[in-house]
Amino acid sequence: MKNITLGQYIPLDSFFHRLDPRSKICAMVAMMIAVFIPAGFIGYALIGAILIMCVFISRLQVDFIIKAMKPMIFMMIFLFVVNIFVVKSGTLLVSFWIFNIYSGAIIETLYIVIRLLLMIMITTLLTATTKPMDLTLGLEHLMGPLEKIKVPTHDIAMMVALALRFIPTLIEEADRILKAQASRGVDLENGTLREKINAILSLIVPMFVSCFQRADDLADAMEARGYAVGAPRVRYKKLAFTAGDYIVIIGANLVLLAVIAIKIWVIK
Amino acid sequence: MSICFEKLSHEYSPGTPFAFLALKDINLTFAEGKMTAIIGATGSGKTTLVQHLNGLLLPTEGRVTVNDHVIEAGKKYPKIKDLRKGVGLVFQFAENQLFEETIIKDVSFGPKNFGATEEEARERAVRSLKIVGITEDMFEKSPLELSGGQKRRVAIAGILAMRPRILVLDEPTAGLDPQGAANMMELFKRINKENGITVLIVTHNMEHVLDYCDEVVVLGKGRLLMQTDISTFFENEEYMKKAGIDPPSIVRFKRFLKEKGLELPADVLSIEELAAEIAGRYRR
Ligand SMILES: Nc1ncnc2c1ncn2[C@@H]1O[C@H](COP(=O)(O)OP(=O)(O)OP(=O)(O)O)[C@@H](O)[C@H]1O
Ligand SMILES: [Mg+2]
Repeated sequence: MKNITLGQYIPLDSFFHRLDPRSKICAMVAMMIAVFIPAGFIGYALIGAILIMCVFISRLQVDFIIKAMKPMIFMMIFLFVVNIFVVKSGTLLVSFWIFNIYSGAIIETLYIVIRLLLMIMITTLLTATTKPMDLTLGLEHLMGPLEKIKVPTHDIAMMVALALRFIPTLIEEADRILKAQASRGVDLENGTLREKINAILSLIVPMFVSCFQRADDLADAMEARGYAVGAPRVRYKKLAFTAGDYIVIIGANLVLLAVIAIKIWVIK
Repeated sequence: MSICFEKLSHEYSPGTPFAFLALKDINLTFAEGKMTAIIGATGSGKTTLVQHLNGLLLPTEGRVTVNDHVIEAGKKYPKIKDLRKGVGLVFQFAENQLFEETIIKDVSFGPKNFGATEEEARERAVRSLKIVGITEDMFEKSPLELSGGQKRRVAIAGILAMRPRILVLDEPTAGLDPQGAANMMELFKRINKENGITVLIVTHNMEHVLDYCDEVVVLGKGRLLMQTDISTFFENEEYMKKAGIDPPSIVRFKRFLKEKGLELPADVLSIEELAAEIAGRYRR
């Protein structure tokens, strides 16, 4: 459970870490749109090159990014197998038994795989360089205009922030209960179905109990410090754009424009 | 029946940005049948150390030997269930592990996992619950209805019912009332003396160490600082300072007497002995 790197914040000091969360979110959206524009390998090469540069600027270890991509390998193999059966365009490359592999299948699969990898890189860049709390704060600001149509943006942001805040705590708790039950002979791998169900219950029940308890305690603690639902709040942390933020937003949108241009003029 | 750590190191999340070396080069032997206190500041690695005893954590370097089980770094140990049967580990805040509908069922859970029959498990559960002071009228209640202290007792009964040869307790008395904590320590001492069970106890309470334990192991920043018997430890001011520990009141009182010119033997470490010793001197 400790090996989940997707979505984990890495405390370092870099240009990206210091950026305003709002600009990072905007830049991410622009890059995501760019990934979805079918601009062929040239477009992906451009996006990929920019992202690799960003990884170096963010001082993240390349290992870390690769690890975040690992859970996707399974999905890629699955896609590849499905595509081989389904896609019948392009020239026939290999043919044996009932399998006919067309060049279209290979290209199609490569497109999807590259797209997935680029998307993981983008989200990892965002979550690894932005504290979860800052991320929700940024989201809340960006959702601000929705307040006019009575969307409870603050409550949503608070809920997301609390959920994110408790992920590591719950992982830790699950780890502890797992160990405590393992000491009492719980074995999740071996045993009959009945024993396995009992083993899983011995983890889930204490987890639920502790979650409810925590939620209760947290609500009390928040109220004790004057938190009231719907009441106006002031901020301790003020978000402010710097020159870097403008550069990143403009840069991301330039990439998007470039990809659109490639789509229009290069790939017809 | 002995426990031996050899050149043991443990690193959490190795190879990631969160890597943390929690234990460094630990060499340590625990004699059979003794009651040993494991002490050290918060974060010194006590919990990490005891979790090696039943294979919850595996060493990243070196090895740990428990009876005839040898667990080496980097190797998965196949007989882990057998090991866990012999080593009962009570967790810090053990009350969070209760999950069955009734107390008695929860306590029978451990023995049943280790192959006891239904009746056998129940009989052991009844006995363990009585030992920890849970009365019969509570057996059919839900564990969730109990107070924190009672839950802790039930959790400890759940481990005792497994009949381990080695009992490891991670801060079993934290958060209990002083009387309840003292009763608990009496209980562990009795189990240790009457059944010859090796007891390792992680604690921050020096009075408990002084009153109940035979030996003390001090950890500091993941290293073994010392391992000595109780009277040597509490006699030596240097040791206590090195371990960053406030001496128990009786030791402080003896120091105070010494400053005023009344020196008492090192092995006088209980109130009764102290009173007798002082009374004896003034009678003379
Ligand atoms: N799962 C983990 N991942 C990374 N580091 C950890 C993990 N568990 C503990 N540590 C670190 O290892 C060190 C030792 O932790 P440990 O829990 O063994 O301390 P302890 O002596 O039991 O402290 P306490 O008296 O507070 O219970 C601490 O610095 C802690 O931050
Ligand atoms: Mg601990």
